[in-house]
Amino acid sequence: MFISDCRREFYDVIVSQRVLLLVASDVDALCACKILQALFQCDHVQYTLVPVSGWQELETAFLEHKDQIKLLVKQDDDLGVPAYDDIFRDDEDEEEDSENESEGSEPSEKRRRFEEDIIERTMKRRQRREWEARRREILFDYEQYEYHGTSSAMVMFDLAWIMSKDLNDMLWWAIVGLTDQWIQDKITQMKYVTDIGILQRHVSRHNHRNEDEENSLSIDCMRIAFEYDLRLALYQHWSLYESLCNTSYTSASLKLWSVQGQKRLQEFLADMGLPLKQVKQKFNSMDMSLKENLREMIEESANKFGMKDLRVQTFSIHFGFKNKFSASDIVYATASLMENIEKEGPETTNFIKALDSLSRGNLDKLHQGLALAKKQLRAIQQTVASCICTNLVISQGPFLYCSLMEGTPDVKLFSKPVSLCLLSKYLLKSFVCSTKNKRCKLLPLIMAAPMDVEQGTVIMVGIPPETESSDKKNFFGRAFEKAADSTNSRTLHNHFDMSIIELKTEDRSKFLDALISLLS
Amino acid sequence: ILQGDLGPFNPGLPVEVPVWLAINLKQRQKCRLIPPEWMDVAKLEEIREQERKEDTFTPMPSPYYMELTKLLLNYASDNIPKADEIRTLVKDTWDTRVAKLRLSADSFVRQQEAHAKLDNLTLMEINTTGTFLTQALDHMYKLRTNLQPGESSHSQDF
Repeated sequence: MFISDCRREFYDVIVSQRVLLLVASDVDALCACKILQALFQCDHVQYTLVPVSGWQELETAFLEHKDQIKLLVKQDDDLGVPAYDDIFRDDEDEEEDSENESEGSEPSEKRRRFEEDIIERTMKRRQRREWEARRREILFDYEQYEYHGTSSAMVMFDLAWIMSKDLNDMLWWAIVGLTDQWIQDKITQMKYVTDIGILQRHVSRHNHRNEDEENSLSIDCMRIAFEYDLRLALYQHWSLYESLCNTSYTSASLKLWSVQGQKRLQEFLADMGLPLKQVKQKFNSMDMSLKENLREMIEESANKFGMKDLRVQTFSIHFGFKNKFSASDIVYATASLMENIEKEGPETTNFIKALDSLSRGNLDKLHQGLALAKKQLRAIQQTVASCICTNLVISQGPFLYCSLMEGTPDVKLFSKPVSLCLLSKYLLKSFVCSTKNKRCKLLPLIMAAPMDVEQGTVIMVGIPPETESSDKKNFFGRAFEKAADSTNSRTLHNHFDMSIIELKTEDRSKFLDALISLLS
Repeated sequence: ILQGDLGPFNPGLPVEVPVWLAINLKQRQKCRLIPPEWMDVAKLEEIREQERKEDTFTPMPSPYYMELTKLLLNYASDNIPKADEIRTLVKDTWDTRVAKLRLSADSFVRQQEAHAKLDNLTLMEINTTGTFLTQALDHMYKLRTNLQPGESSHSQDF
């Protein structure tokens, strides 16, 4: 169901009912869920929370609760929805004009009327055919590409704001949702900057209290601040050196998988005047004198080494004396918690843990997430380095292909969709920097990793090519479907993101061949 | 079961409500809490100085000052100006009073007094030392009765 007025058609309807929340396994969805939960708590709305990771689970949950469901609203990131009227024409009266009963009028009149009728009917038929053709075109365009619209957390925050129930906490979750989209490369830079601008206005509104003598706020109160921060993953909770090595942007630009790359890193650090010993220490223990103008210094040196976008507009949260986190930190931590391969209990514990870590009171979970995130980033960089050094990325014609072997270290981490997507994007970025083949730089990438050894399945992900002005539209969803159909491969298109599928290892080669011929 | 009427609630106008309701409404983001008038840096500084000067207990602005401070600072610190300073001041005053109480209890037990009178104590402070004091006195009594030779042939269990 498509809704235009969030408040009237959605919230006011559900606020008096018992609600079933089906939430996807995505940091953005988690943030939107937190905002909704906060709203529900304020208004005493009873709700049940069910995490779903794909269409099948959505269906099962729906069928389970079928008897009580009256209204289903799906939170979808894939917007770009064409106008309602273009697709669904309310049942038009297709009734043929009933034959005018001849009431004994003159034959010529009757004949005229008859002719008019025919003309009218043909006109209608032609219109309808044109409309159908247009509809098919629109649907084809709509379903061909997959891309993401506004973050659902931001949409929920908007809803809260319209009802004047927005809080600083909810604003923070909206920020994390948006940052998640940016980190996973789901939105264009333009969209990101625009949305940051929107959120910036809210941030100033909530956090404008100046620290004057009269009304200083308790240090425990949460504050959000806008930052033009470094694009280095988790750098404030790690050492600067580790962060430089494990962030895809710096690693790819400096080509850190090669020996020359390592040398360039040393040159880069020397250029900034940062001694190696300092830089390898935990960031918080670095000398204050070095940290003072760190951002400007790094930016200057980075420009010399070809890294023009080392700084990015983002927000950070601050509460208590030692808790300062940047939005991207939270995204990495939550995503790692959600896809933690160590199973501790029933299926949904990881989801619940990740959801909990978004609340400020659960700092221990957040720190656990940060530790897992560091492991994940390291694993990703090592895998990327080995793939590039051993030339595992091969061009298949219309796309690049890379497959992770079973014995690869940390390969289990990449049996999860979000981690695999992150790996693929970093790999593509690094590959584009490493190859000299101009044509290969513009190709999309398909990445495969073993998913379940016992069942012999492989998880496959397709990502669009890495270009400056990429609009981030992904056509692999349809392509995968078509290829699977034409080869009768046993595939599972379960994920909400259609460009992620699971298939049986035996069917892999014929599936790929079909894809190649499809996309050539 | 308690019953009562509260209100009327008009937006923008302050209304007095029981603490439990205030906290509940604040948690549901439906109101802003106004701190009591003694919860102010200058006043609390005065109270703290007063307490430090005197040997006995000075009257506190509210019989529930500690509970109120804790609740309000936990749930509504954004509505209280200079919350951190207030927290420190109240804690300082509390520490001074409890120290006095400990001294007094110590001399009471030592000198085997039969009864004592302390003014201006709040319930929270009394409960803090209460258990310890009564148990200490019980032990003292036990020890004392066992000292009396031959008075009672059977020991009493407490």
